[in-house]
Amino acid sequence: MALLEVEDLATHFHTREGVVRAVDGVSFSIDKGETLGIVGESGSGKSVTCYSLMRLIPEPPGRIERGVARFDGQDLLQMGKSDLRHIRGDRISMIFQDPMTSLNPYLRISTQLIEAQQTHRDIDTKSALFKAIEALEEVGIPDAANRVKSYPHEFSGGMRQRVMIAMALINEPDLLIADEPTTALDVTVQAQILDIIKQRQERLGTAVILVTHDLGVVAGNCDKVNVMYAGQIVETGTASQVFYEAKHAYTRSLQKTIPSLQEKGQELYTIPGLPPDLSKPINGCAFHPRCPFPKTGHKGTERPSLKDVGDGHCFADCGFCDSSGSIEDVLAKGDLADTALPGEGAEA
Amino acid sequence: MSGSREDFLVLDDVKTHFDMGRDFFTRKSKGVVKAVDGVSLTIKEGETLGLVGESGCGKSTLSRTIMQLIRPTSGKIWLEGKELSAISDRDIRAVRKNFQMIFQDPYASLNPRMTVMDTLSEAIRTRHPDAKGDDLIKRITELLRKVGLNPAQMKRYPHEFSGGQRQRVAIARALAPEPKLIIADEPVSALDVSIQSQILNLLKRLKSEMGLTMIFISHDLSVVRYIADRIAVMYLGRITELGDAETIVDDPLHIYTKALTSAIPVPDPNAEQSRERVILQGDQPSPIDPPQGCNFWPRSPVEHDEHMKQTVPEFAEVKAGHWVSNCPHCVEAN
Repeated sequence: MALLEVEDLATHFHTREGVVRAVDGVSFSIDKGETLGIVGESGSGKSVTCYSLMRLIPEPPGRIERGVARFDGQDLLQMGKSDLRHIRGDRISMIFQDPMTSLNPYLRISTQLIEAQQTHRDIDTKSALFKAIEALEEVGIPDAANRVKSYPHEFSGGMRQRVMIAMALINEPDLLIADEPTTALDVTVQAQILDIIKQRQERLGTAVILVTHDLGVVAGNCDKVNVMYAGQIVETGTASQVFYEAKHAYTRSLQKTIPSLQEKGQELYTIPGLPPDLSKPINGCAFHPRCPFPKTGHKGTERPSLKDVGDGHCFADCGFCDSSGSIEDVLAKGDLADTALPGEGAEA
Repeated sequence: MSGSREDFLVLDDVKTHFDMGRDFFTRKSKGVVKAVDGVSLTIKEGETLGLVGESGCGKSTLSRTIMQLIRPTSGKIWLEGKELSAISDRDIRAVRKNFQMIFQDPYASLNPRMTVMDTLSEAIRTRHPDAKGDDLIKRITELLRKVGLNPAQMKRYPHEFSGGQRQRVAIARALAPEPKLIIADEPVSALDVSIQSQILNLLKRLKSEMGLTMIFISHDLSVVRYIADRIAVMYLGRITELGDAETIVDDPLHIYTKALTSAIPVPDPNAEQSRERVILQGDQPSPIDPPQGCNFWPRSPVEHDEHMKQTVPEFAEVKAGHWVSNCPHCVEAN
């Protein structure tokens, strides 16, 4: 049985402008020791998915409308507040993008690391401190025995993120949710941090959900990948399926926009237009206004559901566009000019 | 490297230090931050120079020093044969319109209470104080067309635009005073990948159409490789390696550059599996009293001998146009 099974999760925000369907029917599962990457542009619902699992969505305006998130047999979405508190920080923990806002600036690192343990375990302060120092050593903080007494502001950004990882892993959780853990860091430090997460994962058998917008980070660290667009998963599969045999027009367009994959002289592809407004109903495939492939089929009114194309590789096949050809051919015919993007002006 | 003074922009051993003052009670000096510590560079007209390095390496201080927003502690800077570092503080404002900046966050760098038209008119008037009426409108229209915005939107406020469009407005504003040099400080880091490519294409097009000279600052080597002609890698206030964009990324000499290139995640699972990483030890040291000699030794995976911990390595042209801080431990470790 999978460690976490999410079925048809939907989280909507009820704002004055209308109902924003930030996450609208997301299903996936993750096994013990596995790393699942969630990629997508800002506003695609990747963070809201994670926050919903931890029940950190501000209510109101947010509301989890439907869905099941079975974690070890228990539904996280139906659980009472006190049961939830036992799970958060103990069996599921989370790392956020900005470590400065997630550490308490008034408390020493030692106090915060000891509190994290004593909330969930019957452990005396002395051994908790000992474990805290050990945890800091494991994430590569030099002179941990002295540094443990420091305040968060005395650490650099990379060191602070290490402290966050140490804190998140100190109770040896079954699942770690990392929401853009390295976006605010330098590339060299990013490589170190991802390395630490990987090492600890191998030792403890922790499952990791890694949310990022960087396809490179996903390629190097994830076993499975969910590509999200406009609140739904449009493609899912193993890393090599999604990178080498991408089926969905959005995944394939996204890959064409990355500078490191393109020749220097070549103009970068830009996906025309903007993601759809999630407060308005979406008819048919959400990506179709920006899709470069020729439209041959019937648009339909329902958003397409995921279809298995073999070995667990699924994508939302809309049947509207003919995406059988290679994207290079389609783009070569199309106009690559970056000016006068249709839709962009209309939206603003 | 000794560029001739006739080159477009020449920096000769520029140092920018900040004195931290004295401790109030003990009267002991708190030290000197050596943000830029001996940088020599030449930039040709129409060239894009990529400036990469970790945060705190002095990239931003260097760009501010070039713009004379911070006067250098020592060293000289020439723009088109004119020595900027010798101009008095009173006359320097007139020079500054030759430099324009594009910042990382277009939400923060545009005045939310000014329409695009107001923002651009103000910038145009720094170069053409008398521009008004139809002439002004014509100039604004032309600018907006150049950056791919609809001139009909000039009466809008920044919040009415999307992130990518807002960065286009910021670029239009930078172009308005007809600058000689544009410094783009992480212009695409805050944008989504799909929008990032739009802005990169735009900058590249403007460069070829208008012959813009640009310093493009970024921590993302793959972006810099795409847009820049040459790349300078900075570490702790000094340039460690300088050369052709492709050479620096694909065939670097200095071990620090290797660590940087090997740290960029590549969107290709098989390549990620098989590649070798140079993992550095710890973080960049503080620029207050930085390490002596080859300033990279505390983090280098290769042990340095006492000599190189004392002597600053020579910045030498190893191959044609490829300069490196020639420390035998950092360069020969290949």
